[in-house]
Amino acid sequence: MSLPEAHFENQAPIDRPPTLGSVVLRAEGLTKSFGGHTVLDGVSVDLRKGEVVLLRGDNGSGKTTLLNILTGNLEPDSGQIQIHLNGTDKVLSFPLSLWKRLNPFTGFGPERMAQLGVARTWQDIRLFSTQDLCNNIAVAEPNQLGENPLWSLFRRRAVFRREVKNVTVAKLMLASLGLIGREASSADRISLGQSKRVAIARAVRAGAKILLLDEPLAGLDASGVEQVLELLGKLADDDKVTLVIVEHVFNIERILGFVDTVWSLDNGQLRVESPREVREEYVPEEGLGPVLWTLKVAGPGGKANQETLPGGATLTIAVPKVGSSPATVFEVKDLVVYRGGRLVIGAEDASGVRGLSFTLKEGQMAVLQAPNGWGKTTLLEAIAGVIPIQRGTITLGETEVTCMPSWKRAGLGISLLQARNHTLPRLTVKENLSLARVQRIPAAIKPLLYREVSSLSGGEKQKVAIACALDPPQSAIHLMDEPFAALDDKSIREVIGLIEQRISRVPALVAMPGGST
Amino acid sequence: MNYLLHLLIYLDIYIIVALSLNIVVGYCGLLTLAHAGYFAVGSYAYALLTLKLGWGFLPSVAAAAILSGTLSLAVSLPAWRLREDFFVMASLSVQALIFSAINNWSKPGEPVGTLANLTNGPYGVPGVPRPDIMGSVFDTIGSVATISLVLAFLNLLVGWALLKSPWGRVLQAMRDDELAARGLGKNVRRLKVQAFAVACGMVAVAGALYASYVNYVDASLSSLDHSILMLSMVIVGGVGNFRGPVVGAAVLIAIPEIMRLLQIPDTMAAEIRLMAYGLLLIVMMHLRPQGLAGSYRME
Repeated sequence: MSLPEAHFENQAPIDRPPTLGSVVLRAEGLTKSFGGHTVLDGVSVDLRKGEVVLLRGDNGSGKTTLLNILTGNLEPDSGQIQIHLNGTDKVLSFPLSLWKRLNPFTGFGPERMAQLGVARTWQDIRLFSTQDLCNNIAVAEPNQLGENPLWSLFRRRAVFRREVKNVTVAKLMLASLGLIGREASSADRISLGQSKRVAIARAVRAGAKILLLDEPLAGLDASGVEQVLELLGKLADDDKVTLVIVEHVFNIERILGFVDTVWSLDNGQLRVESPREVREEYVPEEGLGPVLWTLKVAGPGGKANQETLPGGATLTIAVPKVGSSPATVFEVKDLVVYRGGRLVIGAEDASGVRGLSFTLKEGQMAVLQAPNGWGKTTLLEAIAGVIPIQRGTITLGETEVTCMPSWKRAGLGISLLQARNHTLPRLTVKENLSLARVQRIPAAIKPLLYREVSSLSGGEKQKVAIACALDPPQSAIHLMDEPFAALDDKSIREVIGLIEQRISRVPALVAMPGGST
Repeated sequence: MNYLLHLLIYLDIYIIVALSLNIVVGYCGLLTLAHAGYFAVGSYAYALLTLKLGWGFLPSVAAAAILSGTLSLAVSLPAWRLREDFFVMASLSVQALIFSAINNWSKPGEPVGTLANLTNGPYGVPGVPRPDIMGSVFDTIGSVATISLVLAFLNLLVGWALLKSPWGRVLQAMRDDELAARGLGKNVRRLKVQAFAVACGMVAVAGALYASYVNYVDASLSSLDHSILMLSMVIVGGVGNFRGPVVGAAVLIAIPEIMRLLQIPDTMAAEIRLMAYGLLLIVMMHLRPQGLAGSYRME
């Protein structure tokens, strides 16, 4: 296994030459339904050694379902999966017989697929949070002698020798990811981009020959995207790892130059296309960077005030042209937040720690664009009262809310859309909307009203979350953490429309990753 | 002096208990209420093997550990599918099953230890012999204290060797994110069976040591109260490392002794002790959920 050198350069990916090998995975006639709703309807695909595939489709089209099936996380209703890896041919036919389902040696599950060489990464990364980076990778090595408790007790010398080798390989992999000196860092103390690269390296260490990646670029800033793409390119070209990438519409243009094949899912059917075909039909959205968007929001005669913040962040505020001076609705003054002893919000210089300050007036919208790890989520959570602050004041209208608990702030109208886990998964969509006191249910959500949130796709969940965050009648300010994550083109336009409609009455602070368009 | 040795023996026994429970609770993230049941299995196995078959201390302890480790399948198999509250309920049912079996496996008039009257029901098994190793009987409190110290040390050593090995690491990975661990090809079902077998084997050693010291075993050893006491030790002390269970065992052993020093009347001592345990748990969960010396925060 070789991974990129420690140094990454920001360069655009180039088209890869088609050097595909033999078929390593063949799926035939895969079907899957949820509660009578057919998500996959006879999907058949081939995957070749070293092939890089982009899996795309609208929200709810079944991308994650197909990914889950191919990695053993979900059993299809019918169909067949053939795997030709590591010199063995394995055929899994569905539905599985009762005996095969019960038998741990013939069953179907993520561990079985991983042992056959098919692994995945998750959108929410799922590193082992209490372990350091070195152990996160070392734990993945297959068939470790020391994982047998008897050998750990009675063959200690052999276990020790093997462990030394394993840890050495893990450290080398971390070094190749540019994480020299971070071996002992806790997995929950590194940036999003670093976490994603460690997760990919961990899957490779587990012996992945086919690696399926769920939105590996989601939430990354421009340099993070380049680093992950470079890592994936090396895996495909040098190690001939087959990659299937599920990616968000934001990043499809970047990915197209990198993939060999495109799988397009629509109405349960899968269409295999070449990247060239997709590129010809793909019309990129008009670039709505924060400045352009805020100018659009500001309207004729309005302006976008851009302020550079420490750490490479920018705060762009849409200032509409109005006759009289609008009232200040929201003010943050000298805000300082530490997390675990680390200064996250605020900047330190020779004169001490300077806090973050900004104000929002009636009809204004602010877009905070910052690199991963800057503290966007921390800032929004601190304002909403979810985490404590160390210094500063937060004022909503005439009321200072600095010392109020989060529920009192919510009662006064501070509405927070969290980046993830914003909905209650065991409740139906209707129950979620009722709890958020939503009065006008968006048309896109009406067909989902009686479904449990946990059964929705990532994009559908995000739409429900946005409806819950945007509509409550008592809102005084909207704090939105990456509201466009997991949404397709059409949904993004809908959400932009909703935000613009709301901020005519209520100001908003929207956090986006650096480099988003 | 005898009083201090008595405390030392109890401390050694409960260090083994807390250490074994830490494997399941702290390293696997599975909250079990059946642990006292396996403690009792170890106690009864030791009592019956020494009394009825005349086995020595070491073979009886080894057999008790193997029996308890095998019976651990009753909790490890449900753990394949059940998680969180549902697993706690399953472990509670195993505890109730073991308690009922011990409390009811009796027939008046039949000799203790026969198939008809295996446990002697609520009357328990009296006259359990003191440790007998290769013909030497350890019948003074000092000699039992020495054996208990050696056994506690050995258990600490075994626990340390296991939990600092790749096996301990993969258990923690399973605890942190079971699905991610499965996605790396780790057989979490096998890991759960192994972890419970090791933990139940270790607690059976503690049970055997207890039986040999107290010379009497009864069904209360497998009671829910006893399981909760064990769980309190790891929650108060903290889980996920070695210090926590040792500290927890020491604190929970010390509480009744402090009450004794305060000369609280015997009629009230039991109730006050339970109140103190409850209060301590509530305070710990609010102020220090990771325990006094733990490194993993139970959710």
